[in-house]
Amino acid sequence: MEMKRRIGFIEKGTEFLKLKRDHLAKELTSSIDVLKGRRNKLLEELQVAYRGVTAAYISLGPTEVTSQASSLKSGLEIEVLPRATMGVRYPFIKVDKDPQIAGELDITLNEAAEKVMGILKDIIQIAEFEARAERIADELGKTNRKVNALENTIIPRYKAIIKFIEDKLDEEALEELVRMKLIGGALAKRR
Amino acid sequence: MKMGLHYVVIRSHALIADLLAPEEMGKLAEQGSIVDFIEKLSGTIYGTIIVGERGDPSIALEKEFYLRFIERMTKIVDITPKKMGAFLQAYYYLRFETLNLKRILRGKFSELPMETIKSYLVPMEPYQTPDYEGLVEADSIEETVKMLQGTPYAGIEASLEVARRYDAIWPMEQALNQLYAITVLESLDSLSRTDRSLVRSILTFEVNIENLLNAIKHRRHRKDDLEAKKIEELFPITFDIDLKKIKALIHAEDLNEAIDDLGDPYTKILSPIYTGDVALIRARVRRYIYEIVSNRRAAKNFGFNVIMAYLIFSELEKDDLVGIAWGITQGITADEMTKYLSVSGR
Repeated sequence: MEMKRRIGFIEKGTEFLKLKRDHLAKELTSSIDVLKGRRNKLLEELQVAYRGVTAAYISLGPTEVTSQASSLKSGLEIEVLPRATMGVRYPFIKVDKDPQIAGELDITLNEAAEKVMGILKDIIQIAEFEARAERIADELGKTNRKVNALENTIIPRYKAIIKFIEDKLDEEALEELVRMKLIGGALAKRR
Repeated sequence: MKMGLHYVVIRSHALIADLLAPEEMGKLAEQGSIVDFIEKLSGTIYGTIIVGERGDPSIALEKEFYLRFIERMTKIVDITPKKMGAFLQAYYYLRFETLNLKRILRGKFSELPMETIKSYLVPMEPYQTPDYEGLVEADSIEETVKMLQGTPYAGIEASLEVARRYDAIWPMEQALNQLYAITVLESLDSLSRTDRSLVRSILTFEVNIENLLNAIKHRRHRKDDLEAKKIEELFPITFDIDLKKIKALIHAEDLNEAIDDLGDPYTKILSPIYTGDVALIRARVRRYIYEIVSNRRAAKNFGFNVIMAYLIFSELEKDDLVGIAWGITQGITADEMTKYLSVSGR
């Protein structure tokens, strides 16, 4: 009886895990699609920003660019916080403070800096998204393995054990019946 | 030692012949590696340049090109007759000294190591400051500013308070820019009327462009400064692009339309702003100055025009070589580089 109760519980758990697996798979597929689009966009933006930085270096010379860039008052300040979907924890990056420039940048460098700053948040978002997709994929793998293990190994094994016990009990009950009949027959003959 | 004008002009003529031709500059930009670039350069007036194995070779080359340019410049400026020399000293020595001061102040503000700040300095003798080492080694930015007392840069102390209020270095940089522009304008009086017209056309153009570029920057980022300060304070020196036009550019709804209204050469020079390729504006500014000087020289190939042409061409050559050296170390194609150069990109 205990075994039967346990297998009922396991089967219910398996159903829940299957639901979780399907949900995670759906989440992962949509994440990958979004990630692909964003990555391509980011690559294009990075190329534009790189061209801007290159142009500033050629135009102003490396020392002037380095000197002007040193007048950065504060860098990018971020905080990494935990978030969760379907029990999957992933990092969420909160931008506390944007970089601030304290100096008088040449317009060439200013433009390049603006382009780089513009994509910094995109890079952070993509990193966050990639980490999320990675964790979901990881969890999906684990859930899939659990479902497979439950469906293919644990549940059949439990069922086999239950069947074995039931068979054994049936056999014992039959033996008991036969024994009872034999005893009953012998007692009737004696009378 | 001051020499006669004729001697300086003849010398400038001779030295112009030593400058690299646009084709030579183009060939240098086409070199595949920095070793090939140095090799190619050794066949020119620059001769063999030895660059250490450690560090970025383009930085070492930049230093070398600056040294060569300053050498060329001092050779001319120091022998130019007194009045003309006074202007040239203000135009060149003061400009590079102002650049060094800005680099020192930025370094002190960001608390960079002293050796790093020193490595950023243009390799030249101090002009109106006692010495750069002392300014760099000062304990704080306030100490550096205090050390400038008794020099023509003493006035920047007033901007220190504004800098503290904004927790930024740009007010001090602006004060230095302003000081430079005023000194150069004042030194114009030492030139004859005809010589003054050439310098004025260059200066007017440079100031106009800087004001316009600043206006574009303010339009985008510093609208709060515009509210806090009077526009006259932000643009203390103006010429034909006056405060009214600057204001119109800042407040225009359509930037392209506002730039079109400025008329040529400004519309043509600023047009890369439409595509976002701002660095191209700097290249066009340099090319335009090259054109002004070349045209003046073509009209009168004797006198101050030639001296100015030599100095300006030398500086453009230095800027281009610095850009090419950096571009080659970064593996940038010659086509991409020459877009931003003034001599070979014309």
